[in-house]
Amino acid sequence: MMQNKTGVWPRNLFGSAVPLVAFTAVAGALPLVLSGNRYLAFVAGMTMIHMLWACGMNLLYGYTGLMPLMFAGIAGISAYTVVDLTAAGWSFWLALPVGTLAASMAGTILGLPSLRLKGFYFTLCSLVIQTVMTLAFVYFSGLTNGDTGISQIPLPSAGHGKPLSGLAYDLVLAAAAVLGVIALIITVHSSLGRRLIAIREDDELAGALGINVTGYKMIAFFIGSLFAGIGGALYAPYIGFISPRSFDVLISMNIWLMVAFGGRGTIWGPVIGVALLAPLSYLLQEYYTIKDVLYGLLIIAVIVLMPAGIAGGFGRAPRLLSPRINLPTPRRSPK
Amino acid sequence: MSDVLLDARAVSKRYGGVVALKSIDVVQRRGETLGMIGPNGSGKTTFVNVISGHTRPNAGVITFDGVSLAGSKPFQIAKAGLTRTYQAVRVFGELTVRENVATALVDARAPLPPDAVEEIADWLRISHRYDMRAGALTLMEQRQLELLMRLVQRPKLMMLDEPVGGLSSTEVRTMIALLSELKSRCTIFVIEHTMKVIRELADKVVVLMAGEKLAEGPPSEILADQRVIDHYLGSADA
Repeated sequence: MMQNKTGVWPRNLFGSAVPLVAFTAVAGALPLVLSGNRYLAFVAGMTMIHMLWACGMNLLYGYTGLMPLMFAGIAGISAYTVVDLTAAGWSFWLALPVGTLAASMAGTILGLPSLRLKGFYFTLCSLVIQTVMTLAFVYFSGLTNGDTGISQIPLPSAGHGKPLSGLAYDLVLAAAAVLGVIALIITVHSSLGRRLIAIREDDELAGALGINVTGYKMIAFFIGSLFAGIGGALYAPYIGFISPRSFDVLISMNIWLMVAFGGRGTIWGPVIGVALLAPLSYLLQEYYTIKDVLYGLLIIAVIVLMPAGIAGGFGRAPRLLSPRINLPTPRRSPK
Repeated sequence: MSDVLLDARAVSKRYGGVVALKSIDVVQRRGETLGMIGPNGSGKTTFVNVISGHTRPNAGVITFDGVSLAGSKPFQIAKAGLTRTYQAVRVFGELTVRENVATALVDARAPLPPDAVEEIADWLRISHRYDMRAGALTLMEQRQLELLMRLVQRPKLMMLDEPVGGLSSTEVRTMIALLSELKSRCTIFVIEHTMKVIRELADKVVVLMAGEKLAEGPPSEILADQRVIDHYLGSADA
């Protein structure tokens, strides 16, 4: 009884179990079901990579209250690192953690402005950082091959000198997405998640309660960038081609849109957002111009009609903006 | 262990050309309830902000429980056992009461065990609101939650910035009763405009006036002090 009163987590953890089992089953079955159709299997694989990215974006945007529009750039750092290292003879499986770590460290450093800038101002700043990163990907052509991009990226090895088969790669991506969601569930249900939510809600009050706001924001960036980095490393050999356009601001906004569309700050909202939106952009590949218009319209629709995302339902104002009652003085505006 | 809990010496704070605090000395002993009064803009909240690390002083030495607070961040000061509330009540409005309390426990100096948390929640009459969103509570309940969130951290000193601000007269009476019981749990520093609170709770009163310390002493003496009456009490409240 007493445990029940302060022990807020076990109930929530249990609540995640049923959807998690369902998600694992679907993610694991898709590559097998679609193995006859290479194109659809590829779309499913890309969706899994976006799941991973959305988990990282959700940790930062949904749970910590920071909207990092340089997220794709961070994934790009990992992708380029992995591609360059494998070209230099490294095994992909060794390059992956190295590239991911490089992305995480870069993400932590690039997240430093968030210690001073809140809400919209940090988002603006991250937009500038993303632009500079895209320019850097073009400029350092010795490492990135500039605007031309790097093509014919070899598949990871499956041992014995053989490359990973399409099906095996799809299963690796599905496993990565499932592990990513599990990692996110564990993170937000831990005391770390408790602190991040407190920072999202009111960072000054969080500090007054003993929470090291600076330190935990940096930890959030480190973990969020891990998701970006793993996704970026897996992306490059899967698609076989990367260029600065693969990791530009539009990609960042796509990932943000999937999280916002699904419902930020919930585990399963962004998963649904990715499942609906990530395949869409590939299935609409032939109507390239319409795709961008459609995305623009979706962004507007989400902001106007569904500020809390699918998980929050239509027409409901986000709880963050709901009117507060019985307060004698207005508080600072919500972030 | 020294008897002195908070020792602020020659604390000054300027905002541009405006002097908010002019060389203020405040000493608070363990277990002694210190009240701070003064007209609007006299520097009371600035003083709390400086002590709690929210604002850096331009000069002065602040010692808390024998340790200097120079350069400490608010979270470090909170972890050292010095906690504060805000003039405009501040809770995590989107989270439930339960989640608010759990958040207060994660980085507490000495988190209370669950049964002790429950005991305090019952005492503060907030237990029945545990699953409600904190933003939907009444102001009084939010103030009670604020106290609960501080108490579960077992602070050595709690600085309250106008704890009865905005409450009805019945609620003020309830709050005074709660605060006088609170004195047995931790040392209290209280800023108030309501003289009733100061009269009933404080052992010692510091009067601020335009950033300077005008007077200091037991409430009976201070509230009868002619300078205090002229400058402050005579005006409206008393």
